[in-house]
Amino acid sequence: MAFLRRYLRSGAGMAGLLILAAIALAALAAPWLAPRDPLAIAGPALLPPFSDAGLPLGTDRLGRDVLAGLIHGARASLAVGLAAMAAALLIGSVVGTVAGFAGGLVDEALMRITDAFQVVPRFLLALAFVSTLGPSIGTVVLAIALGAWTEPARLVRAQVLSLRERDFVAAARVIGMHPAEIAFREILPNALTPALAIAALIVAAAVLIEAALSFLGLGDPNIVTWGTMIAEGRNLLRTAPSLSLLPGLALVVTVLGIYLVSEGIGEALDRRGRAAP
Amino acid sequence: MAVLTVSRRLLLQGTAALAGLATLGLRAHAAGGGRLVVAADSEPKNLNPAIVASNGVFFVASKVIEPLAEASYTGENGLAPRLALAWEGSSDGLSVTFRLRPDVTWHDGKPFTSADVAFSALQVWKPLQNLGRTIFADLTAVDTPDPLTAVFRFSQPTPIQLIRNALPAVTAVLPRHLYEGTDIATNPANVQLVGTGPYRFAEYKPGQYYRLTRNDAYWDKGKPALEEIIFRVLPDRAGAGAALEADEIQLAAFSAVPLADLARIAKVPGIKVVPEGYEGLTYQLVVEINHRRKELADLKVRQAIAHAIDRKFVVDTIFLGYATASTGPVPKNAGEFYTPDVETYPFDVARANALLDEAGYTRGADGVRFTLRLLPAPYFNETRQFGDYLKQALKAVGIDAQLVNNDAAAHIKAVYADHAFDLAVAPPVFRGDPAISTTILVKSGLPAGVPFSNQGGFVSAEIDAVIAQAARTVDTSARTQLYKTFQKLVAADLPLINVAEWGFITVARDTVENVASNPRWAVSNWSDTALQG
Repeated sequence: MAFLRRYLRSGAGMAGLLILAAIALAALAAPWLAPRDPLAIAGPALLPPFSDAGLPLGTDRLGRDVLAGLIHGARASLAVGLAAMAAALLIGSVVGTVAGFAGGLVDEALMRITDAFQVVPRFLLALAFVSTLGPSIGTVVLAIALGAWTEPARLVRAQVLSLRERDFVAAARVIGMHPAEIAFREILPNALTPALAIAALIVAAAVLIEAALSFLGLGDPNIVTWGTMIAEGRNLLRTAPSLSLLPGLALVVTVLGIYLVSEGIGEALDRRGRAAP
Repeated sequence: MAVLTVSRRLLLQGTAALAGLATLGLRAHAAGGGRLVVAADSEPKNLNPAIVASNGVFFVASKVIEPLAEASYTGENGLAPRLALAWEGSSDGLSVTFRLRPDVTWHDGKPFTSADVAFSALQVWKPLQNLGRTIFADLTAVDTPDPLTAVFRFSQPTPIQLIRNALPAVTAVLPRHLYEGTDIATNPANVQLVGTGPYRFAEYKPGQYYRLTRNDAYWDKGKPALEEIIFRVLPDRAGAGAALEADEIQLAAFSAVPLADLARIAKVPGIKVVPEGYEGLTYQLVVEINHRRKELADLKVRQAIAHAIDRKFVVDTIFLGYATASTGPVPKNAGEFYTPDVETYPFDVARANALLDEAGYTRGADGVRFTLRLLPAPYFNETRQFGDYLKQALKAVGIDAQLVNNDAAAHIKAVYADHAFDLAVAPPVFRGDPAISTTILVKSGLPAGVPFSNQGGFVSAEIDAVIAQAARTVDTSARTQLYKTFQKLVAADLPLINVAEWGFITVARDTVENVASNPRWAVSNWSDTALQG
């Protein structure tokens, strides 16, 4: 609660929250805001924006509703972003906890694996993964998580290394708790905070990677995503610029919103440090 | 101080040289015979048109190495003579006699003779070329009674109509004296081309350009009109239009400027859009069907799918009018073979739904009858867009099509080797004769892995028999009649669904003259192409 109050005092955090809330609301309400299949042909092709009240943002090359695409695209972007973030945190925290708590050879091995993943550029890894397994929303999420779990793993490990020397861990050992129970029930919950602070950044990166994959034709072709919309609009950049500019704008605003939220979380965490020494 | 001046001048010279390098071949010189700069979107590894009969190779190589005859709007049987002046088939179909053009020399000065033709036919076209392997399968010998006569001898009757239709694409003649006794596939002349054509191959800078220069000793006196042709490598399709507007290039063929951009660029002063000149290179938009799926093995389901496709939408919206709706496996502009007298499938959603109900595939609670995998070929924007459209068209009749996107290699493997598809969208090329194009998508018995062939498991003894008979029928009118029967059978049985056919578009500066002077213009020799002074 105190954290929430501190967060609400951050201007950037509030702005980000408002932006994200609006986008999330649109994504959640998509079936009511745009009940038609966003891939359905809704009108004449290449209708410019603001020329038809029924299709306020116009239509694309095949006559699909651009507004419906944007709204449903928000679903894909946020869903992929959140799922990839959850997967990355899950993998990262387990690896980090095990490495930090077990120490020794296990720590060495796990950290070298983490290094191996960290040296491969994240986008390249996702690209290779998706082009091998075939594009679908599941593989895209996994591909992004595969490149994103290393940072939380390192943060959690560092945290665990310091926590495992604390008195409450020693106490838990004394009362005979199983080491796994100590690691995951006593230490992990306390080690997770810094990882959560970068969670928002993982979401932002995931949204961008998903858009880039779709742009390259490696997204799931059966759903609308902003990346696909930009890719399809690219050929018409001179004739109908709105087709790539609108989804591009949506992408910028979303990522900006996520960054602002992450900023807000960071500030709130900082203030806690100062307010309660 | 003097030292400083000198170094500054040197510096300036250096900069000028750099700038010159950067713009080499990029700007037209309005004066003189002129340099034509053309957008090239691919760089084939092997440029030898006698080995690789494909448009990407012909685009550059056809200016250097010539075939025996070229397609023509006005010539007899749609042909104009090139290295051959006349050709005649015997009535038993076992021989074809070519009379060759006199006083032709290779770019290195050696004379062109019937020995070059015999060598090319027996050592290159028949064993090495992708199309020649089929056409010249029964070629046993080429007699050369004199330097200007070549007599092709076949072990089995080979229709003169097929040979004629194939002449422009498969008969690029190579210089025997450079190839004989070498490993033909790796001969350096496959890149540094030597031919008889109006232009000599000057140089190739990978990733930058191909440069061709005027052949002053060309047999057609007074031609070519141009001094130089530069094929500037421009892989980004969005870049071709901008380069044309800036007059950095004067010509972009093969629809290098996207269809959607044509309406805008046509209005730019000084630029023209030319849809002609590709009649001999027609692409067909085809829905390939995997007959191993029990639903698709049912003729009623295939008919329903044919009725569910709005060809007018495909032509008007996807191809923006630069296409024609198809009725069957032979395109309309192949006038010799085409017949409109076949079963047609007008756009009729109600009829399609009724057919599917009749076939016993009723809609489930969610409105879906059954689910299919749909694999659009990734080669063209239009094939992908048609995939998006087909998914929607099938949804309207209760078929849930799940799109599967692949890159080119994965698509070929999935469809033609692994058969991991239910429906696929393909853009096969009609090569002037059904024997070497459209029939391969229908006839049975081809091993798995042959790309762009019937891999859908369709077998019809009747259609196979007609194809086999046509391959051996020497009489032109009887052969034509057999292919008309073939079209009827295919339209009735629907082994695949022909949706539309289209050619490419050329966009050029107004200064380029004689664009589209024959039906294979982009891949012909351009000896009459000129730039206005």
